[in-house]
Amino acid sequence: MVCIIATIIISLKSPAFFSALNGQVLLEAISINILIALSQMVIIGVGQMNLSVGAIGGFAAISFAGMMEVWGISAPVAAGLAIAIGVLAGSLNGIFIVWTGVSAFVVTLATLAIFKGLNLAITEAQPFYNIPAEVGAFGNTTFFGPLPWILIPALTIVVCVNFMFNRMPLGRKLLAVGANSHAAKLSGINVSHVIIVAHCISGFLAATAGIALVARLQLGQPTIGDDWLIMSFAAPVIGGAILAGGHVSTVATVFGVIIVALITQGLVLFKVDPYLVQVVLGALILAAVGFNRWKDIQTAKTKPGMHSG
Amino acid sequence: MADLSFEVQAVSKYFPGVKALDSVSITLEPGKTHALLGENGAGKSTLIKIITGVYAPDEGALHVGRAPVRFASPRDAIMAGVAVVHQERNLIPRFSIAENIMLEHLSDQVLRPLNFAAINEAARPWIEKLGINADPSTPVMELSVAQMQMVEIAKALSLQSSVLLLDEPTAALTPHETVALFNVLRDVRDKGVCVLFVSHKLEEVQEICDSVTVLRDGQNACENLSMNGLTRQDLVRMMIGRTELIAGYRPRDIDRRENALELLDFSSSAGHHGINLAVASGEILGLYGLVGSGRSELAKAIIGLLPTDGGDIRRDGQRVTIASPAEAIHKERIGYVSEDRKHEGLILQHSVLDNAGITVWRRAVNRFGFLTQNSVRRLVEPYLKKLQVKTPSLRQTIGKLSGGNQQKVAFAKWMAANCDVLIIDEPTVGIDIKSKTDLHDLIRDLASSGTAIILITSDMPEMIQLADRIAVMTDFVVSGELGNDGDYSSMSKQIIDLIHIEETRLVGE
Repeated sequence: MVCIIATIIISLKSPAFFSALNGQVLLEAISINILIALSQMVIIGVGQMNLSVGAIGGFAAISFAGMMEVWGISAPVAAGLAIAIGVLAGSLNGIFIVWTGVSAFVVTLATLAIFKGLNLAITEAQPFYNIPAEVGAFGNTTFFGPLPWILIPALTIVVCVNFMFNRMPLGRKLLAVGANSHAAKLSGINVSHVIIVAHCISGFLAATAGIALVARLQLGQPTIGDDWLIMSFAAPVIGGAILAGGHVSTVATVFGVIIVALITQGLVLFKVDPYLVQVVLGALILAAVGFNRWKDIQTAKTKPGMHSG
Repeated sequence: MADLSFEVQAVSKYFPGVKALDSVSITLEPGKTHALLGENGAGKSTLIKIITGVYAPDEGALHVGRAPVRFASPRDAIMAGVAVVHQERNLIPRFSIAENIMLEHLSDQVLRPLNFAAINEAARPWIEKLGINADPSTPVMELSVAQMQMVEIAKALSLQSSVLLLDEPTAALTPHETVALFNVLRDVRDKGVCVLFVSHKLEEVQEICDSVTVLRDGQNACENLSMNGLTRQDLVRMMIGRTELIAGYRPRDIDRRENALELLDFSSSAGHHGINLAVASGEILGLYGLVGSGRSELAKAIIGLLPTDGGDIRRDGQRVTIASPAEAIHKERIGYVSEDRKHEGLILQHSVLDNAGITVWRRAVNRFGFLTQNSVRRLVEPYLKKLQVKTPSLRQTIGKLSGGNQQKVAFAKWMAANCDVLIIDEPTVGIDIKSKTDLHDLIRDLASSGTAIILITSDMPEMIQLADRIAVMTDFVVSGELGNDGDYSSMSKQIIDLIHIEETRLVGE
């Protein structure tokens, strides 16, 4: 609903919004942001936070670009290896959290610095420029109308993640652990495994986003991932995810991404100062959590307290 | 503030589609202890929420000492002299006992530095009076559950209120602590406070209360009746609208040649030592003991949640090691129905179906590894039906069901898990009589169908109605084992003797 109204308002005010190129640019941004948002959403589902999504994504991105440029590895193999690096980085997060019992916030804060530091040490803060043409083409062309190629892997992943949370024991276990890890453990769920797997999935998704961004920018930028953090929380939260864990919605998160994209794009078209776009994004998060809280209070008011009769 | 009466006059409360309270009245008199009884769903907690200012009534009025009052928030109720001890803990774990008790008194002095010595001194009389038996500066998180409950009560009493409302105050207390609490309550009552005592334990209500109001289906089943001359049967009849059916213990045929689960000289890191216990298929072994005697910890050590420290666990005669609850369930088919359904037993914000299905997901998948729409439902629905769980739909969030229905779902989950051995911990705490009877029938049925059951309960009648043999645990050792002859007075005496003997021995050391 909100999306449709926003689209109508924006297109009335600024006809340029509907041009094919703009549609393509918008959809490319949305595709990549979906991957970033889902990477965080999986961890929110298990009741934790992953501050290192951007660092993992950036590290996978420069690995992907670097392997192609320096070692001359073919794009698909390099992409596969970069994803493996993302999964490995995620698994390190998970293993460390489970092994030490330190909160995910602290662990991923530390690994954020580690992965980012490795990134800068390898690249010496210089981008990799020699991205193969076919990779650039994948990131910048469309297969039908304004629909970009990147949309295909993004939508495939949305379907898979949605299926996992709703229909696979793994997804259900993830939510059970997120909502009440104690009860989950007593019900025979291996909580440690579930947490580690969640972080592997998060690493996988972050790496995919990093690779997609390299294709789109046609550049192995060391700064990739630096600005992901707010986006990664904003979309799931706008989609109604409970930060304490146990409830996330893949579809609503996708809508969260779309809303954020439409609004930021709209602001750009209305020639609003780009720095103020950040302010709007922050306000949007506050509005979303405020709305969720208000809804909770409303339901609490209207439902009888049946807990202990 | 004492010597004021508190009246609820013809109060009604509506929720969408439900009339939770229908013209309910109750009068609390100063210097009297009044009982509020009712099954789950009778409207008790709605009434409590109105008295404590959480909800405003849609019709009717509240009076303190004949003057009408209107509570817009819980704070208004406190200011009007209504103090509450809630079922849920409301303490700050890292703060000291004294700070927790005095918390409400500190709020006016935001800028003044705290004088901890003075706070400790101010709290000390309450700590001594309630027999909390700990230094005022001890952090609350280091206390036992029963001690925390006492701190909670001290906190309410320290407000010098004219009304003291206690919601299931004895649920976590041992008989000894309950006696101490009752002495304090009599004291408070004699000072002219209106005490409102909400409990499922009818024996306690009969012991401590002067008058009673019973709710049924949101209406008064009786109003301000004197306790004099009322029997337990009278109370039950008013609560459920019929007489209680107490099924006595009936001996059952058990093939004891092979034990389903056996502990040999078992020790654990929690402090158990030299434990020998055995339970055969189809048998109910009762494990009785006071709170803190190590019963739940023994269950958790068996299923691999707490480390073992020597001795053997034998399953169908084979020596086994169990490293985690996952191994206990999936390898050894041993399940543990937790006493703490809100934190350990259920995931309150998930649906009935997800809660009941959590143990069967690995069996419910199709050949591609996916859960289909009906696969989980097929495995758990028969049990939910059998237990007569009342829920609008399987998608209902379980936290919104009544305690009795929640506990039934917790049971359904373990029935669906197809365990051969079930350790059932305090299955009927805080649930209504109908659900309790249903669950007792179910436990008997499970045993009859060949499940070996270890039943942990502090409820002596429950133990004597259900268990084939009763082991008594005192301070992490088994102090004795009894065959059940079904006679309440002789069995309860023998059990209490066993606890007493062991305590004497410990003091002797």
